[in-house]
Amino acid sequence: MNGEFIINSELVNNDTLIMRTDGYINNVGGEKIVDEYTQYEPQGVNRVVIDLQKSKVVNSIGVSYLIEVIERLSRTNGKMIFTNLDPTIEKTFRIMGLFQFAEKAESLESAMIA
Amino acid sequence: MKSRNVLERVSTFKDLIKSIFNFDEVHLVYKKSFESDWGPVTNERKLTSRDLTIAGLTLNPGTEFYDGLTYNDSIILALSDSSFMGILLGQKISGGVFSDSESITLQLLMRVFESESKSYLSQRKEKELIFNLNEKILQLNSLIDTGMELSRFDRRDILFELALERACALMNSSSALLTIMDNTSHITTQITFPLGTDPAGILTNQFKIESLFTFNNLKYVITLSEKESRSGATSFSDLDQILLDAISKQVYVVIENEFLQQQIVLKQRYEQELSVAASIQQQIIPDKLPDIKGYDIAGINIPSREVGGDYYDCINLGKGKFALIMADVSGKGIAAALLVNTLNAALYSYLEFDFPLTEMTDKLNKLIYKCSPIDKFITFFIAVLDTANGTLDVVNAGHNPVLLLRTDGNVDLINAGGVGLGMFDLGIPYSGQKFTMNSGDKLFLYTDGIPEAMNITQDEYSDERMTNFLKSHSGLSAGQFIKEIVDDVKSHSGTAEQSDDITALYIIRKE
Repeated sequence: MNGEFIINSELVNNDTLIMRTDGYINNVGGEKIVDEYTQYEPQGVNRVVIDLQKSKVVNSIGVSYLIEVIERLSRTNGKMIFTNLDPTIEKTFRIMGLFQFAEKAESLESAMIA
Repeated sequence: MKSRNVLERVSTFKDLIKSIFNFDEVHLVYKKSFESDWGPVTNERKLTSRDLTIAGLTLNPGTEFYDGLTYNDSIILALSDSSFMGILLGQKISGGVFSDSESITLQLLMRVFESESKSYLSQRKEKELIFNLNEKILQLNSLIDTGMELSRFDRRDILFELALERACALMNSSSALLTIMDNTSHITTQITFPLGTDPAGILTNQFKIESLFTFNNLKYVITLSEKESRSGATSFSDLDQILLDAISKQVYVVIENEFLQQQIVLKQRYEQELSVAASIQQQIIPDKLPDIKGYDIAGINIPSREVGGDYYDCINLGKGKFALIMADVSGKGIAAALLVNTLNAALYSYLEFDFPLTEMTDKLNKLIYKCSPIDKFITFFIAVLDTANGTLDVVNAGHNPVLLLRTDGNVDLINAGGVGLGMFDLGIPYSGQKFTMNSGDKLFLYTDGIPEAMNITQDEYSDERMTNFLKSHSGLSAGQFIKEIVDDVKSHSGTAEQSDDITALYIIRKE
């Protein structure tokens, strides 16, 4: 992972936002994820797939931003799906309770089917 | 100011009041605490610079709050988190007066809103508590997992990167730096997380903590900078310092274990080497010395823990002549053992040809010089004893002075007549000497493992003590003498470890 946090986003089927993150999901990274979602939210996105293949580290501030997006999605019965999770991040999310309100998928392809 | 969710609820409430009571204007203001300033809840308009004065908990009616607008009434609602919401009511569109029933309805609506706010705040607080609790559990778990993960890495670069990543995640730090310095404080390594972060930026940040340890004359410093929170950078807590120290200790343990593991491998390799060297050496040390008519001869070699390359021998040359040899290779280990093996092989070869001793020694010197490493040489003593008349033809190439004890108690020293074998090849001839062993005389050959044997206070056995022992124990048989001088050396050394081989050869002319 290099220093700068990068997101590559793609809107699929008009309702699914795929975000591919690269970098440390901290205060800066988390805020960028929320901002990215905010941009697409008015377009009726009700499913957000976050591909974390290039993000191996997340702190609890980053997690709080993810929770914010999850809560906003839940208001429109939308859902968040995490894919390509590093085992450490998966454990972090599990302990922080994210999987009670979001899903995980092994790959982007399986996330799109979920 | 407030989350969007709250804003939505407040906007909805405002619209509800406006529509139920037909006010032309309804505006909501909010302040975080009694001491804070009022501010707008929604983004419709900005407050002017006029003060919102508060008498008790009521706003003055008629005060202009927004340009061109005056408010008929206001209501202040104290919320359960000690914040306040103010509702500024304009005129009724119908122009009518605010009736009692409308007032009651409004108050009921306010109560509902207050109750709902309370519930919302309570839920939010509960979520925060759960989040904080989970965060603590995560920290504990991460600390344990980090320790286990770090111990798996034998590559220092991955180890350090992982430690910095984990430290950042654990303590919500924006960035981390590992600095390694030598004992002159010169920085040898700096690793950052995230990669590419400027170390200077981390070190000069006002919010930072450090943990350090020293190992093998290197100082390792882990620095975390900028603890993150949703409201911006904040200072690290005592708990953060404890956690960072814990990670630092984990890294220390891994480095220490790696070092100890290397030491074990080196030690095993070294011991294996020593074992090979010892077996090489033991192959050339004679098991049994030849019986020499008219003489009593005995010898001993006690290797030290580190094989030293001592060698002695008594070679039957035929015609009543015997070569008495004592040699000591500089250094220890396999190299020393191999060199003495070379000497042994060459000696046996050259002795076949009956070269004069000086010439033979010169040849040995050239050979050893050619095949030995630059730091290796051999101190060498050879005496060819003609048993018929007791003459000793001697060359001492850099070895300790050999002692020839006469029956009158005097000791002749047979000193070196040249440098050790393999030191130089300058063509300088070795000088030979001749002596005669008379009946009752004793010849004592030894290596420096005897006079230089040390006790725990670093005192040597010494040449003097050795010579005195020789004189005072001249009545013993060769075998007995060897045994007793070794005992005396060991008695002197006490519990100190034997630092060099103890090698000696003793011959008595009986007849």
